[in-house]
Amino acid sequence: MNVNDTTANPAEPEPHDARFHATSYMKFLRLAFRLATEGSWIFYLWMIVLTCIALVGTHAWAVQVRDGMAVTAMTDHVSWGLYIANFTFIVGLAAGGVMMVIPAYIYHDRDMHDTVIIGELLAIASIVMCLLFVVVDLGRPDRFWHIMPFVGKFHWPVSMLTWDVIVLNGYLLLNLHICGYLLYKRFLGEAPDRKWYIPFVFLSIAWAISIHTVTAFLYSGLGGRPFWNTALLAPRFLTSAFVAGPAFIIVVLQIIRRITKTKTKIGEGSIRTLAGIMRITILINLLMLVSEIFTSFYTGGAHGVSAKYLYFGHHGHHALMPWIWTSAVFMIIAAVLLLRPRIHEHLWTLDIACVLAFIAIWIEKGMGLIIPGFIPSTLHEWVEYLPSATEWKITAGIWAGGLMVYTLLLKIAIPVFAGTVSSRKP
Amino acid sequence: MSEPSGECGSGCGCKGGGDDKLFSRRNLIKGAGITLGAAAFAKALSPLAHWTREATSVDEFLQKHYRELTKVDLEVVFRRLEREAKQQYGADVTISDHRPQAGVKFGYALNLSICIGCRRCAEACHHENNHDRATSNSYIRVLEMTKGSMDMEKGNVHYDHPVPHPDKFYMPVQCQQCDNPPCVDVCPVEATWKEADGIVVVDYNWCIGCRYCEAACPYHARRFNWTKPVIPKEEINPKQSYLSNRIRPQGVMEKCTFCLHRTREGRMPACLEACPTGARVFGNLLDPDSEIRKVIENKRVFVLKEELGTKPSFFYFFDE
Amino acid sequence: MAGEARIGKIAFGGVIALIGVVFVGVLVWTWLARNDLKPGPKAEEPSTPAVIHPVTIRTPAGIPRVATGEVDSQGQPVTIACATCHDTRQPNYETRSGTTLKDFHQGLHFAHGNQSCLSCHNATDYDTLKQADGRPLEFSQTLMLCAQCHGPQFRDYQNGSHGGMQGHWDLTRGGRTRNTCTDCHDPHHPAYPEVMPVFPPKMVRGETITPHGENHP
Repeated sequence: MNVNDTTANPAEPEPHDARFHATSYMKFLRLAFRLATEGSWIFYLWMIVLTCIALVGTHAWAVQVRDGMAVTAMTDHVSWGLYIANFTFIVGLAAGGVMMVIPAYIYHDRDMHDTVIIGELLAIASIVMCLLFVVVDLGRPDRFWHIMPFVGKFHWPVSMLTWDVIVLNGYLLLNLHICGYLLYKRFLGEAPDRKWYIPFVFLSIAWAISIHTVTAFLYSGLGGRPFWNTALLAPRFLTSAFVAGPAFIIVVLQIIRRITKTKTKIGEGSIRTLAGIMRITILINLLMLVSEIFTSFYTGGAHGVSAKYLYFGHHGHHALMPWIWTSAVFMIIAAVLLLRPRIHEHLWTLDIACVLAFIAIWIEKGMGLIIPGFIPSTLHEWVEYLPSATEWKITAGIWAGGLMVYTLLLKIAIPVFAGTVSSRKP
Repeated sequence: MSEPSGECGSGCGCKGGGDDKLFSRRNLIKGAGITLGAAAFAKALSPLAHWTREATSVDEFLQKHYRELTKVDLEVVFRRLEREAKQQYGADVTISDHRPQAGVKFGYALNLSICIGCRRCAEACHHENNHDRATSNSYIRVLEMTKGSMDMEKGNVHYDHPVPHPDKFYMPVQCQQCDNPPCVDVCPVEATWKEADGIVVVDYNWCIGCRYCEAACPYHARRFNWTKPVIPKEEINPKQSYLSNRIRPQGVMEKCTFCLHRTREGRMPACLEACPTGARVFGNLLDPDSEIRKVIENKRVFVLKEELGTKPSFFYFFDE
Repeated sequence: MAGEARIGKIAFGGVIALIGVVFVGVLVWTWLARNDLKPGPKAEEPSTPAVIHPVTIRTPAGIPRVATGEVDSQGQPVTIACATCHDTRQPNYETRSGTTLKDFHQGLHFAHGNQSCLSCHNATDYDTLKQADGRPLEFSQTLMLCAQCHGPQFRDYQNGSHGGMQGHWDLTRGGRTRNTCTDCHDPHHPAYPEVMPVFPPKMVRGETITPHGENHP
C-alpha cells in the first residue's frame, strides 16, 4: 500500500485505519532509530563517554548484588544513602519539567508550545533514573516482581512506597503517551487531535504534583524520624523541584540552541518565563528553609537534634557540614543573581545561577535531607555516613544512563518537532 | 519491512548518504559499536552470573508468599532450605513451621531496677538466632543511661567497664512487637506482618530489601543483612523455624521474633533464660494469671516513645 | 478558537474533578484497609488435657561445711561441719564480722545490713537457720528466711517478676525451674556483684566513640 496516497490531503484529518498506522508507525520507529544513532563526532564522543561511565556503574552494581550491600557505606543506623538521596532529587527534576507544561497549556503561552516537549522528555528520562535508583537500592533486585500489582503482593493502599510505584510509572506512561503522540502526529504532518492529548496534559500536571507529594509523604509519614516528620516537607519538595527543573531546562535550551546552530533564538521566550518562575520559587524555597530551621532551632529538643547536627555538627561529628553549607551558600548566591533585572538577556548570570541552584537543591534534598533523618539513630546513637566508592560509581552510572536517554530522546524529538523530518516529502 | 528504506528517509534532511544500503560503512560501524557496547555491558554484569549460580535458584525465585503456601508447599520449601544450609554452611538443620496458638498474645516486661547491663541477653540472642558472627549482630541493644534522665540522648551502647555503674541504669531495647507497627504499614510487598499472637514476622524469602521498614521503626529493632551471614558450622543452632531463626539470606531484613521457635512451643525466649538477674518477664497477655499480667497490674509500667502511638507489647518498669 | 478554549476548560475541570473523586475514594479505602492486616494462619488446637507442669525452685546445697585450710593426702581440702566446733563453744550474739573472731571465718566478707551472725544462724543447732521468731529453719528453706525481711522482693518473686528462670512460660506445655535467692545473692553480702559486660556491639562504619565510651562526651 502506498502511504503517501492516504495522507495526501492533510487539511482534513481523516481517520486512518489500523493498517495505515501499522506501516507508518514502523517507519516512525525506524526514523527514530536512525535519528538516535546518527550525529556529529561530538555526539558520538558524548555517548561514548556516557557509555563508559554507565559501564563502570553497571559493573559496580553487579558486584554490589553479588557481595551484598556491605560494599556501600550504609549501615543499620543510616539505612538509606546516596541512592535514595538521588532518587528524591530526581523525582523533583521530573516534576519540575511540568513547569514547562503549565504555562504552555493553561496560559496558552505560545513560546512555550514549541519547547514544552523538552520538559516532558526530561520527565521521561528522570523517571527512568528514579526507577533505576530504586532498583539499585534493593537488597534483592531479583525479587522485583513481588512489588508488581497482581503478580506479586502489592501492599496498596497502606504502603506509601506502593503509591510511589503507581505515580512514578503512571507519570512515565503519561509522558510517553503525550510525547509519543505529538511526535508521531508531527511526523505524519498532521495536527494532533486535542482529545487525544489535552486531557492527558492536564492529568500530567496534577500527576507531576502528585509524584513529588507522594515522595515527600514517604518520609514525612514516619513518626519515628522527627527530622522528616513535618507537614512542610511536601510543599518544600515541590518548591525546590520548581527551582531545579527550570534550572536544568534553561541550560538544556541553550545547549540545544548552540548545537543546532539556529539563529532563530529557539526557546527565547521559554527561558524568560522559566527564569521568572525560578526567581519566585527560589525565594519561596528559601523562606520554607528558614521556617524549618527556625522551628528546629528555637524549639530545640528531639526535633532540633538532627538539624543542629546537620548545620553545626555534634561533638566531633560533622560529616555533613561541608555539604549543607555549600548548599546554603549556593542557594543564596543563586537567589541574589536571579534578582538581576532582565536576567534572560544576561545569559552568563542566568547560567551561573541555574548551575548553583541545581547543585544546591541536589545537596539540600539528598545529603542534606535523607541522611540527617537517620542521624542520630532512633536510639540516639551517632553513626555518620559518607558514600562509598561503589555508591558514587553506581550513582554516576545512573546519571550517565539518564543523560543518554535524554540525549537520544532530544535527538529524535527536535528534528521531528522542528519539521525538518516527516513522513511526507517537502 | 522490505520496501526501500530510502522512502521515509529521503525527505528527512539527514546528512547520512549511505542509508540506502543495509551494509553501508556507516551502518557497519554502528552495528559494530552497538555489538561492542552490548558485549561490554554483558561483561560488566558478569558478577551477577556467579551470584545467580551460587545464591539463588529457580525454585527460590518462583516461591510464593508464606501465607499463600499450603502445608505441602511449605514442606517442599523447608526441605530445600535445609539442603541449602547443608550446601552453604555444611550444617544439618531442621526447619519447621511454628504457628500462633489460639488465645495467646505475647507480652514482655523488663525491670530496669534489676537489669545490670551485662549484655548476656544480647549474647544469647546472637547464638540462638544464628546471627552473623562477623558483625556480632544481635536483636538487642543495651543502653547505659544516666540516672536522673529517661532521655536516650544520654544513652550509650559501647560502655566497657564493670557493671552496674553506680550512677547508671541499663535499658535493653529490642523489637517492641507494636500493635500499631509502622514497619508493617510501610512494607510495599507485605513481606512483614503481625501475627495473631502479636509477633511481627518477616518472610525472608519474600522481602525485597528496600529497608523502608528500617527507616520507619522508631526503636532501631530491625536489621538488614548487608552481606551473607557467616557462621561456623559447629556454632549453628540446628533447631530452626521458617519465620524466625533460620539463617537469613543476603539482602533481606530480619528482626526479633520473641524467639517464636521457642515461645510458640511454650518455652521462654532465649534472652530471658540468659538473664542472670531475672529482670525479664514474659508471658501471655490474655491470661489474667500470667506473670506479665501481674507486672502490668501491680507495677507502674511504661512503654518507649508512647507518644508515637505504636502501642508496644514490650513494657518497662522500676521496682521502687 | 473560543470553542476550543472552552473544550479545554471543560476537559481540565473534568480531569481535576475525576482526580479529586478518585483521591478521596482511595483515602477512604486506605482507612478501611488499615485494619485488614491479615495475620498468618493459627496452629491447630491441640487437644491436650490441662496438665499443669511443676515449677521447681532450685534448692540450696543444704547444710554447709567450712574449709579448715588444710588438705588431705589426696590434696583435697578438709572441710568440717559447723557442729564440730560450735557444739563446744559459747555463742556470742554480738558478733557482726569475721574479723573479730580468733579463728575460722576471719576472711568472711559480711555486708548485710545491721545483722549479727546469730540473727540468721541458729545458736542452738548450727545445722539449721533461725527465723525471726526463734523457730529453726532448714538450710534448704532459705527462701523463707530472706522473705521475712525482703517482703516486696518475695512478693515479686511469687508474681514471677523477680529472679531468673528457665523452661516454659506455658505450664501446660512443660515445667519451669526457678532460681532461689542464694543463686544470685550471697547471703553474707547480698548486693549483686559487679561483673564485666560481655558482647559489646561491634563498631560500624561511620561510628566513632570518645575515650570514655560515651555517646555524649
